[in-house]
Amino acid sequence: MSYDDPHHPSPWGPHDWKHGSPHNSWAPFILSMGVAIFLFTLAGAFKWGEFQGWGKIPLIFVGLGVVGFGLLVWWRQDISFGVNGEVFEPKSAGAPFQNIDIRKVAMWVFLMSEMMVFTSLFSTYMRYRFGIASCQTVFESGEWVEGAAVTCFEPASHLIASSWFHIAPGAINTFALIISSFTIVQALRYAKMRDIDEDVRRKKITRYLGSTWFLAILFLTMKMIEWFLGFPLPEFLHEFNHGDSTINSLYTEGYLINADHYQHHEYDTHYLESNGHGLDHDSDLYAMMEAGSHPGGHMMANIQVSATTFYVTTGTHGAHVFGGIIGLSYMTLKAARGGYTPDNAVSIEYFGLYWHFVDLVWVLVFPFFYLY
Amino acid sequence: MAHYKIMGQDPYWMNFYGLMILTLMEVLAVGADLGPAANSLGTEEKVVTLWILTIIAIPKFIMIAAIFMHLYGDEDSGILTMTALFPAFFILIMILFVGLTHPNAASGLPDWCRPGNYGL
Repeated sequence: MSYDDPHHPSPWGPHDWKHGSPHNSWAPFILSMGVAIFLFTLAGAFKWGEFQGWGKIPLIFVGLGVVGFGLLVWWRQDISFGVNGEVFEPKSAGAPFQNIDIRKVAMWVFLMSEMMVFTSLFSTYMRYRFGIASCQTVFESGEWVEGAAVTCFEPASHLIASSWFHIAPGAINTFALIISSFTIVQALRYAKMRDIDEDVRRKKITRYLGSTWFLAILFLTMKMIEWFLGFPLPEFLHEFNHGDSTINSLYTEGYLINADHYQHHEYDTHYLESNGHGLDHDSDLYAMMEAGSHPGGHMMANIQVSATTFYVTTGTHGAHVFGGIIGLSYMTLKAARGGYTPDNAVSIEYFGLYWHFVDLVWVLVFPFFYLY
Repeated sequence: MAHYKIMGQDPYWMNFYGLMILTLMEVLAVGADLGPAANSLGTEEKVVTLWILTIIAIPKFIMIAAIFMHLYGDEDSGILTMTALFPAFFILIMILFVGLTHPNAASGLPDWCRPGNYGL
């Protein structure tokens, strides 16, 4: 049996693409097993955000190893499309996708499953957002006493949308993803051009894919700044930030998935009085304090649910961006070596579908999680 | 690839300009003082902002899917659009029956749908 013969199976799997045989592959099952092992053991390694010890770490890497093996099997099978420099793009044979590239259909089916993943995260967020009283409402109701934590929903937007400086990383990310959607489609345009010099094509594709890669890195950098790092402000901007010299990260603000003693200055009656904001005179808390039935003070909140929904949803989106960076790294290097021609440009198109989907999700995540 | 024009121009560039303008509008909507508008509508400023952002997000969503993801103008656009819309039913179910249910829904169920009381 010859490895180069497209009629016979390769050591890595079926190899008869040219003749339209089905892609009987173990790769999806191996990948699913690996992802399951990885996620279960990763979840088991933490409890309420606290690391539970090193016992689960080897299994986490086993899961990653199985994922890697599944990807290797898949890659080896797909790379066997091209035998002796030829490119085979198998077409679907049956209805309703007849004559459409199988990989294109597969990508859309994959994106459908992704839609379900993000819908489950969105519906969970809505359920908790509408089902748990907001911390502002609880504070103004006066149904709390200083020193005892109350469970309430504190949307991340309360911190993020509090000033232009706080919202800057998210706003930059919104533009970064929109621009990257454009750069990837430009890469595809030049990859498909036939009436163009090969060297010009190589440079154009590399530049546009490289730009997409850079914007993806920028996205995750901004995410790191927003979550963990914060950033300092030049002195002339301090007055626009209540006199503070830094923009705190969510971590520094105490907005954490295990935050059961969260405190914010806007839920402190002493702070509100001393800073001239004052309490809402229509609120029950104001009436209670006027009547002497509530001593006021600094409300303490358990915001684990709200922080978890925020970090899981935006983190899942960030993980998709990270996955895109891995793919873009490979594709940019391939483009730099002149690896893309009009015949195999569809790879950029299929990756582009994934990348546009990541952008689409952000179109919804940004207003609902960052601004509302 | 796109085989059509938008207002006589390249569709990708036109789509890009449109998306940038809509995104700028989003950012401006967040920064704008919508308090008077909210008062006249008898609601909170945040709710007005959310409505504006949602209304802007819809054309952004369609523009990315239709033009960048080629769900418009290609030979296979029709069937792939149907494919992309297929999960809409499940999304509707999840939004309606998970996202918008009452927090006491589980404990407030009528007797006939509690365990051991299946209406028999």
